[in-house]
Amino acid sequence: MEVKVEGGDEFANASYAKICDDVFRDIGLRSNIDRVYMYCNPAEHVFIISVEIGRAPSPVKVWDVTMREGDTLRITDEKYAAKLLALMWDKYGERVQQISRLVIGLELKEEEIAKISDLIVYDPREDLNTRILDGIDRILPEGARVRYPIPSAKGITIIASENPIAEEWKEKAKRAIRDVASREGGVW
Amino acid sequence: MYKIMMFTGGVYKFHELKEIIGDIGGFVLQEMVMQTETMMHLAFPEEEERRIRDKAKELGGKLKDLPLAGAEIMIVVPSLGKHHAVYPMCDIAEFLRRKGAITNMIGLARGVGKRIAQMTVQEKAIIEECDAAVFVLGDFKECIEEKVPKLCEPLEVPYMIVGGPPDIDLPHYVGGVGRRTRRMNRKADLDKLEEMTDAFQTVLGEKIKEIEEDPLAASPLFIKEMIEMTLPPKAGEEFPVVIHLDGLRVKVEEEDAGKLGEVEVGKRKLSEISEIKKSFYEGYLVKIQTEAETGGIF
Repeated sequence: MEVKVEGGDEFANASYAKICDDVFRDIGLRSNIDRVYMYCNPAEHVFIISVEIGRAPSPVKVWDVTMREGDTLRITDEKYAAKLLALMWDKYGERVQQISRLVIGLELKEEEIAKISDLIVYDPREDLNTRILDGIDRILPEGARVRYPIPSAKGITIIASENPIAEEWKEKAKRAIRDVASREGGVW
Repeated sequence: MYKIMMFTGGVYKFHELKEIIGDIGGFVLQEMVMQTETMMHLAFPEEEERRIRDKAKELGGKLKDLPLAGAEIMIVVPSLGKHHAVYPMCDIAEFLRRKGAITNMIGLARGVGKRIAQMTVQEKAIIEECDAAVFVLGDFKECIEEKVPKLCEPLEVPYMIVGGPPDIDLPHYVGGVGRRTRRMNRKADLDKLEEMTDAFQTVLGEKIKEIEEDPLAASPLFIKEMIEMTLPPKAGEEFPVVIHLDGLRVKVEEEDAGKLGEVEVGKRKLSEISEIKKSFYEGYLVKIQTEAETGGIF
């Protein structure tokens, strides 16, 4: 993930670059974001943040998080246990039972068990946008509560301020993002 | 004037140290015995420091100076959201506590932003109940310069501002902290926190000097002892009496509040030498009047 912060003084730019880095690491999105560009104008209290989404992680399937042991499945990654059980109960009802914390008992036919491998437990793409927006919310100054989003094919740009956002700033934001994109070779 | 220090060491013969403190007219402010280890906050007349140091050396314990002891400090942040809490406000509070201060924290209801930042009358009153305030602000010079006249300057207690940009021309400003996402536990961070506490000592020093020039009717340390003799702490109450530079915060229940004014201090009653009022925040505030106003207590 590349981070670029412009507009503020030297200290503020360095500090916000670190904040961007830390926040996206905390919410586990560092490897899914290609670029973050932030423009700060504290004098007029306008902040622009633009995030270019990169490779989204592939969906997690049942075999990724379990191991088959005869008529039982052993959960190898407990993080997905709740989602996995909900999915299995939804599909097979009482024929699937949780025997112990990490063991699931199956009363299924062999062909049904074979099909389980295709079931998707969790698709990170589902809540990727929500998580990115949560990250952006943590980065932008808390006082900048007026927001204007500019969606694009590969990411999202948000203008934030404590004052109503003027047309001039919307134009400036679009222009700035285009400039950065052409300079850095990004595809905003 | 009293000097406040912290003693840490073993329990062996440490009652002898307490006896000496009693003999020279000092006080034990806080005492904690953890199996074979003890920790005590001691207050004693400045001129007797040698005697205490000798005794501590004899017992094999350590004495540490607590330059901010006897002060209750409010750490003020623009909000309690993720942006301002918990770093760096908790690091700053922790460091001030290590220097002996009692700290409280407050997140303002509408303290965020630049133009929209404001402080309510009640928030101002709560901050002014403490001896001093530390404002923890963010990274932008323009925002800090606009917020300080609105939030800090109306205060009637000494204050210090901790912010990001290193070069802002404001009184009692310490830069280089700003917004943080990690604990301040690196060497450079610790040095910065040391610098901050040094600056804070100067801020607090002005108030201490003011009090020394026009002395109080009785020392808050002495009044604390008198209150604790009349109203001993109930089970589960911890640190029910907090010392301020010019008074005390007494955390008593409402039914005991009436007895507070009746506490005898020398030949006078507490209500005669101080103003007692209910705090907006916690307990009752006792503001000791000066000796010039009330006359001697003996």
